[in-house]
Amino acid sequence: MTFLRLWILWVLTLTTNIAHAEKMRIQIWHQMIYGHRQVLAEAIQNFEKENPDITIQATYRETEELRSSYQAAAMGGSGPELVYGPSDQIGPFATMGIIQPLDGIFDKEHFAKFDPLATPLYQDKHYMLGALVGNHLMLIYNKKLIATPPKTTDELIAIGKKFTVDLDGDGKIDRFGLVFNYTEPFFIAPFIPAFGDAIMKNNAQPNLDTEGVRGAFQFILDLRDKYKIIPKECDYETANALFKQGKAAMLINGDWSWGDYKEAKMDFGIARIPMVSQTGRWPSPLVGTTGYSLNVNVKDPARLAATLKVLNYLTSEKTQLLFTERVAVLPSLLSLRENPAVKNNPLLQVSSDIMTVGTPMPVVPEIRAVWDSLRIQYQKILAGSLTPDLAAKGAQVMAEAQIKNMNEIVQPDASLWIIKIIVLLGTIWLLWASRSGVMGFIKGFWGPQRFVYFMMLPAFVGIFAVIIYPFFYNIAISLSNFSLRTFQDWSLVGIHHYVEALTEPKFYSLFLKTLIWTISNVFFHVTIGVFLAVVINQVLPVKTFWRTLFIIPWAVPQYITALTWRGMFNQEYGPINLFLQRFLHLSPVQWLSQPFTAFVACIVTNVWLGFPFMMIVALGGLQSIPQSLYEAAYLDKANAWQRFRHITLPLLMPVMVPAILLGCIWTFNNLNIIWLVSNGGEPGDQTHILVSYVYKAAFNLYRYGYAAAVSMLIFLILIAWSLGSLRTQFKKEQKS
Amino acid sequence: MIKKLLAWLGALLFAIFSIYPMLYVLGVSLRGDNAFQSQTLEIITSTSTVKNFISLFTQTDFLMWMRNSLLVATVTTFLGVAFASTSAYALSRFQFRGRNMMLFSLLATQMFPPTMLILPFYIILSKLHLIDSFFGLFLIYSSTALPFCVWQMKAYYDTIPKELEEAAVLDGCSRWLTFYKIILPVSAPALVITALFSFMASWSEYVIAAVVLQDPQMYTLPLGLRSFQASLATQWGLYAAGALIVSIPVLVLFISISRYLVSGLTIGSVKG
Repeated sequence: MTFLRLWILWVLTLTTNIAHAEKMRIQIWHQMIYGHRQVLAEAIQNFEKENPDITIQATYRETEELRSSYQAAAMGGSGPELVYGPSDQIGPFATMGIIQPLDGIFDKEHFAKFDPLATPLYQDKHYMLGALVGNHLMLIYNKKLIATPPKTTDELIAIGKKFTVDLDGDGKIDRFGLVFNYTEPFFIAPFIPAFGDAIMKNNAQPNLDTEGVRGAFQFILDLRDKYKIIPKECDYETANALFKQGKAAMLINGDWSWGDYKEAKMDFGIARIPMVSQTGRWPSPLVGTTGYSLNVNVKDPARLAATLKVLNYLTSEKTQLLFTERVAVLPSLLSLRENPAVKNNPLLQVSSDIMTVGTPMPVVPEIRAVWDSLRIQYQKILAGSLTPDLAAKGAQVMAEAQIKNMNEIVQPDASLWIIKIIVLLGTIWLLWASRSGVMGFIKGFWGPQRFVYFMMLPAFVGIFAVIIYPFFYNIAISLSNFSLRTFQDWSLVGIHHYVEALTEPKFYSLFLKTLIWTISNVFFHVTIGVFLAVVINQVLPVKTFWRTLFIIPWAVPQYITALTWRGMFNQEYGPINLFLQRFLHLSPVQWLSQPFTAFVACIVTNVWLGFPFMMIVALGGLQSIPQSLYEAAYLDKANAWQRFRHITLPLLMPVMVPAILLGCIWTFNNLNIIWLVSNGGEPGDQTHILVSYVYKAAFNLYRYGYAAAVSMLIFLILIAWSLGSLRTQFKKEQKS
Repeated sequence: MIKKLLAWLGALLFAIFSIYPMLYVLGVSLRGDNAFQSQTLEIITSTSTVKNFISLFTQTDFLMWMRNSLLVATVTTFLGVAFASTSAYALSRFQFRGRNMMLFSLLATQMFPPTMLILPFYIILSKLHLIDSFFGLFLIYSSTALPFCVWQMKAYYDTIPKELEEAAVLDGCSRWLTFYKIILPVSAPALVITALFSFMASWSEYVIAAVVLQDPQMYTLPLGLRSFQASLATQWGLYAAGALIVSIPVLVLFISISRYLVSGLTIGSVKG
């Protein structure tokens, strides 16, 4: 007994010790760029030294991914205590109810310590404490080339023309006057109010069919086609690289990029984006903040206290000063504005001046629809398929429709009752019909078939445990009104989303495109695969060498493949265009900014990725064809084609058909390649196939219910198709 | 003769097609800081440096990611082979109720758009407290790789003559022993393929890992590589060097088993 008592005592002390020693772990998800991440790590180290009972875990996520994974995590009842991101995330997050207002936690005096821009209000509540102010665009110029930056757009064009030169006379421009990521609407947004009105009115309404939007669109087109001072195709990376290599005199970029140019030891200056000469107004960059929001799931008082401690530390003078000194950001605390680190930093001083013409960044969720429709229409203009006038009209219509979809709370309709009744009856019927089957199944555990059960079960339990729940979950949300406004309390509403999807012409055009995608991919996979297999088998020496060589594309992880090919298709630097120019003397193709060529680029990438699988399957099939058949054909003087047509092909088919079936299913559902190569459906959402469209609807536009309905439709299409093809296959086999 | 020449030409063309992208990645990884943007077609230039490879190993957690990935991939492969080989054997050799249904349901699991599984996966895993745990990954990876593995193992077993087992049973072998001692050894090529597929599925998977793993200490290679790729400032040099090294183990694996690849990959007849 004494022993037992001692033992219990020991266990008790041990557990209390553990409980005591266990540190509180606070998680932060953020999207800081590399330079900022290192400063954050240092700040965290300092904090942990001062507070040994708390550890902080900072996790980096790319902006879009941060949003979608935070949504999933908070929805599942967990997630990081703090989420750090740009101010426009608070609108959607607050609407979904996954971040909590800070008003009950901090008093008014505390908020007053910050720049008003750093404490944005959404529906009259504070949801974020900004750690810095800025994120605004400006003109950055290379001081080696330009002494005084242009003040007006006329000057900009004149200077731009002067510096857009072909240095070595090969007909190719080696230096541009101006570069920027102009395919992204955020980068042309400053010009819109300078030509007319702002992009939002009354806080949450799109205002796109305006002189401002038309003027800005036309202005960029003129820069590209009339004055020719910007490259034909230019994304963020390209613009950045051109500027850093001295191949561009001026650049429009945000304050976050300074660190990069400093590290590259550039002598650069910053200025306001030049005043629009026609209207005499300054372009107005959006000014926002990046800061911390509090997860709604942080409720436990001890945890909340620790989290607030971290939050206060990360927004404190000390930490902000560290960031300002290291990476030159404008602190959000007003008390730091007079600090020498801010005062004596010429960049920050000019930057403050630029901000005075800025507009606060809208934080309402509707802004997302505005960006998305602007992007789609604008990229169509750049590709030459729309005029600015029509595009502005289209963007307005589209933004209104998207906002309507986003904010819609679908009410239950009669179909819900019918579905409920059908499901109920179906379940009863299934239970009744399967009663003997289920009993037999259970009895089987003791019967002679026991062996089969034990062999089968582990795999199927695993598969169904992981697949069944998500499957029914999806059926449920496809029948629900799960979307932005009902994120936390969705309810079943009926077949609304199915009707919506099936009555949209878009669904059918996407379906057609998916078919083209699938058929052309599988066609090339199979023909290239079979061709190579036959050639390896019959012509080439050292079969293993060739086989290994052709397997390479299969061995490379898909996401690496996608990004590699995206780089290869780059208009300016991609080896494909360099090859076309140097060896075939063709003009460069703007692969990724035209809908047709972008789709072709996706197909080429996927063909590269997929042919080795078919080749290996075909090689296996060829091995089983007896050599004697070929010898007989040889005696009959059949030529190579006849031998292929009458011996190889018919004997290869039974092996290839199942591989083709699987290949079709995989290709139909291949999201990675389309999404990564076309950068989420660019240009203008015209490269989507059904799955990438589903992905976008769910994670970018928050239409989960609708996305689930479309994915159920995809599933049904594939089931029907594969059942059909299995049946014809079966009939054929019975005939022969 | 002309036909032979054409065949050679075609093979060489596709050889370039299949190898060039990787050479391009190599070229990018060997360039200096601003690796991605350079108007050259040469792979190795006078300015080539291995700086990126050195900083990959010394300045980042690459080795830790590698270790995590190896752990995840090994366990997944082991589970995949164990479960696929047994259940496929049952499907191949025994007639029972619902067998065709089960075969078709394996195929059907491949038809659901994987993107819509992310949210429910997250919900299950957080209910089971498997977020930030490798167990969550083992569970999901081995289960998602299983349908194809079972399907192709079954097709391979179908090609093994039944007489082999009948002889063993006559000699008094139990069914388990027959499977273990007779069938498994002759199925080596298919087992290798199953192992390869399970390995690939876990080695390069990104989307689910991003949801399940939140602790940077537990990052697998794809997650680690993605962190070089910030929203607006990608470190292309490091990324390319990492991408190359990530691809190497898979390539080595492929080369070392290529002799099984051709004989082992049977997807079999679809009629079940």
